[in-house]
Amino acid sequence: MKLITLTLFFIFSSIALTHSQVSYKADNTEAYELYEELRCLVCQNQSLLDSDAPLALDLKKLVLDKLEEGKSKEEIKLFLVERYGEFILLKPTFTIKNILLWVGPLIFVIFGFFTTFIFLRKNPLTKEENVNLTNIEKERLKKIIDRELKE
Amino acid sequence: MKKIYSSLPLVFFFILTIFFFRQLILKEDPSELPSVLIDKSLPIIKLEKLAEYKLFNRENLLLLKEPSLINVWSSWCAPCKIEHEFLLAMSAEYNIKIFGINYKDDKKDAINVLKSSGNPFYAIGRDEDGIQSINLGVYGVPETFIIDANGNIRYRHVGPILEYDMKNTILPILNSIK
Repeated sequence: MKLITLTLFFIFSSIALTHSQVSYKADNTEAYELYEELRCLVCQNQSLLDSDAPLALDLKKLVLDKLEEGKSKEEIKLFLVERYGEFILLKPTFTIKNILLWVGPLIFVIFGFFTTFIFLRKNPLTKEENVNLTNIEKERLKKIIDRELKE
Repeated sequence: MKKIYSSLPLVFFFILTIFFFRQLILKEDPSELPSVLIDKSLPIIKLEKLAEYKLFNRENLLLLKEPSLINVWSSWCAPCKIEHEFLLAMSAEYNIKIFGINYKDDKKDAINVLKSSGNPFYAIGRDEDGIQSINLGVYGVPETFIIDANGNIRYRHVGPILEYDMKNTILPILNSIK
């Protein structure tokens, strides 16, 4: 009896699972790319592709409808930006306003190399200088090394 | 020269502090989307009629020639229930015309809410599949828009309107654009 209920339970749970996943599958690469590039506005760090939020499903449907109407990728993006702002694009546009966002990391890398260079040059350990030892000094150094080696 | 380099981390730290401090005192919710439609004309939205209630369309809003509100709501949305009494107050006590968009809702449930809790709406329309609300940039219910006498969007409120929001944001803005 237990086994039967359990089996029934599993059968119905699988039905429930397929029911909850009303998804608008991207059957072409354009739709797939758009899903990836657009932000789900409910779970804001997910793309439409990752999200099953009701609004994300609506937006996916809208994307598919617009593609069917013959709209281009750019036109659809523009349509959504006009309504939700640039925030909906997961990849920010390359404009003056966003320039710091794009160039910022590069500035930090350059700055990092620069400071490393300065640091290494100033550090006495990495300085390459010819040290001229006098004969007496050479003798002393040899003795020290020998002693160290013996131990 | 050496002094400048050694003080660089400190300078960096202070610049960072300024950014953090700004975020701290602004008290802006970064997850809240700024509306792109502010100061733009109300987009065309095609809604369906809900029972005997007056249908909300762009024309009867523009005909009013006075500031009004557009409220996106649903019977299944819990915060909408909280703001309902304040919508009622605004329409009854302050005589503000509120246009309702019934978002992805069941007809019967929507009518039930209006019958049992009161109807704050001057006109109302159904957006059954949620596509029309996308035109307004809606990304969650409830949302409220303030429209001026010329039919331009002046303000967007995301989330329920509480007493504080009504008295300190919505009503002052409505008064200022009268």
